[in-house]
Order: sequence, then structure tokens, then C-alpha cells
Amino acid sequence: MAELVYAAGIPHAPTLVGLFSRAPSEVQKVVRDSCDALVHDLEAARPDVLIVFANDHLTNSRISAYPDFLIGMAAEHSGPHEWFKPWIGCRDYTAKGDTTVAEALFRGMTRRGIRMNAERRNLNFDDNISVPTVLMDLDKRDVRIVPVLQNTTVPPYPDQRRCYAVGQALADFIRDDLPAGLRVGLLGSGGLSHEPGGSRYYFIDEAFDRWFLDLCCSGDHRRLLDELTIERMEAAGSGGTSELLAWVVVMGAIGERPGRSFGYALHKEFRCGIGAVSWAVNDHAAERR
Amino acid sequence: MGLFDNFDPTLAAHDLVQDLKWDPELRRRFQQDEGSVLDRYALRPAEREAIEQRDFRKLYDLGFHPYLGGQLARLIYGNDVDGAIRAVNKLVASLTGKS
Repeated sequence: MAELVYAAGIPHAPTLVGLFSRAPSEVQKVVRDSCDALVHDLEAARPDVLIVFANDHLTNSRISAYPDFLIGMAAEHSGPHEWFKPWIGCRDYTAKGDTTVAEALFRGMTRRGIRMNAERRNLNFDDNISVPTVLMDLDKRDVRIVPVLQNTTVPPYPDQRRCYAVGQALADFIRDDLPAGLRVGLLGSGGLSHEPGGSRYYFIDEAFDRWFLDLCCSGDHRRLLDELTIERMEAAGSGGTSELLAWVVVMGAIGERPGRSFGYALHKEFRCGIGAVSWAVNDHAAERR
Repeated sequence: MGLFDNFDPTLAAHDLVQDLKWDPELRRRFQQDEGSVLDRYALRPAEREAIEQRDFRKLYDLGFHPYLGGQLARLIYGNDVDGAIRAVNKLVASLTGKS
């Protein structure tokens, strides 16, 4: 029985890196406070492996054959992909991977009726993995990464209830399939409200974002599943806000437990609402079911 | 109307954008001789015309995925931090009829 020791949600807007220095100080403070808190909790939790659910921005697969979940099984994960690098404006990185856990995840989810795809190559990483990696220096830490790239934008894609069920299966996998003593962290990467590619590219839905962060912190998952519909996310920013489904996977895995957020920032030039959550996951989290 | 109401996964323009992201040599050719690159894809006449005219509204109405629309705008107008701002503004102007 492995231990689920860490769970958090973080946005990955590329502008958090590339335009950070141009943002007002109060906006920078929210970004810094959020990252510092997530890193503090990560260091306290000491996960051996961090499974990162993050949406794929059509970076790895053609629309005609688009997986809902794509596991990266490489021994190392380097990024960002060359075309995305100048856009993000971030440094290069090579994070340690964990082929054994990635293979076990592929096998375990398949056996639990969750269709995932998996590839052994270094996947193409855009802001999805790159921004959390550089903001939290994940490549410089003693933690191995298993990326799971998620379809949250090519219709039809798994809705909040399906993603929550994926998270529940993930918890079972961590509890039953991974070796005793292994410390596992979960990170959901995406959101908050934004509309990449749409006519409302600069639109940020502050009311939605604050509602979502409060809901994440409340631990009320009945409301989460009833109210965080695809329609509501589309209204808050079409094609982008649904990235929060990566957070829903994490919440499905940890169950109803409170979280903490570290402020909220609305900066139009970021083209995305900014806020993060760290959930109170203790060493008994994997045993709760 | 929602951004995905007309989504058509069969558009060849989707593959064009994917290949341009994945292939630096194709990107260079696209910048030097866009027509020769467009010739390689089974674009419908209206699809090709929309790309040539930088008419994202028309492209979306045909069913183009908006996220790839944002990426196509960056391929055309600039892909670094500041180029992306220019691309966003051009894209929004086209979608809102202000270009």
C-alpha cells in the first residue's frame, strides 16, 4: 500500500513565466505566495513520485486520434517542446521520470476500466508541464514525475463526473497496486478561467474563479460534481476553463477534504485567472476508502 | 453560439497546424512560400481561402478548433512572448469583425 501524501492544483498559463516581470506587484505576490505554499507543502510531504494531470494543448496527437489520457512513460521528461519555448519564455528542464510507476499506472487503470493511452517517448510538453515544473523547480527536486496529459478541449471529452471517477480509480491504484512505503503526490495543472483562441481571449471570469477556489477548499464534492459542469466552464471561458478537469481528477483521488488557497489574481494580460489550492492530505489518505 | 458548435474534426487545416508545430523545416517553408505548403493538404476551397485571408471567423465557422486557431495565429504573427500578444490581438480582431 503506497501513501498518498500530497495533492495540489496549479494554473499553468505561459504568461506566468513570460509576462511575470511586467505584472503589477500585487499580482506577482499572489503567484509567488501560491508557488511558495505549494512548494512548502511538497517539501513537507516528501513524495517519491508526483503524478501530474495536465491537459494537452493539442501538442502530441492529431485531432483525428486524440486520447483522453496520455501517460508519459519516459525515464526522463525534457521540455519545453521547441515551438512552445519562445512563447512560454521559460528555461529548459529535464525532470526525472518513473517508468515503473508509469507502466503500473497504465496497467492499473486499464484493469479498472479506465481507458488511457501511454507512450515511451519524451512527450511534447507545452505550458501544461513546463510552467509548474519551472515555477516549482520540480526538475531540481528529489522527486520523479509521471505526466498524464488529459483531453479537456477536443469534443467530446470526459466530463466532471468521469474525471472524478478516474480520480477514484487512481486512489485505488495507489492503494492497491503501488508498493508499500512509496510516497505519491498528485498535481492537477490547468485553469483557471480563460478562453484561448476565442473572441474573449482577454476575458477572465473572476466570479467563477473565486467560486471554484472556494468550492475546492470546501471539500464539498457533491456540489462540485453537480455544479462544475462543462456548460458552466464553457461560459467562464470556452476551450480553456475546462482544464480544471485535471483538478477534478485529483479531487476524485483524495475525496472530500478541505484545501487552502493563497489568494486570487486577475491580470488581463495573463489571459487567465490565477489561483492555486493545496489539499490537506495526510498519510492515511489512501486508506480512507 | 459556442466556440465548438460547428467543430469539424475532419478539417485538413487541423493537420496543417499540427505539422507546422512539429516540423521546423515545414515552418520555414510556410514562412517563405505559404502556398506550396497549403498545396500539400486536402484543404477545402473555403478552408484555404480563410487561411490565405487570415479570416479566423470564417475558419471557425467551418469548424476549425479554436485552440489551433490561437496556435495558427502565432505561427503567422509571432510566437515569442510579444509576438503572442500581437497574434492574440489579430485573432480577436478577426473573430469580432474589427480587423
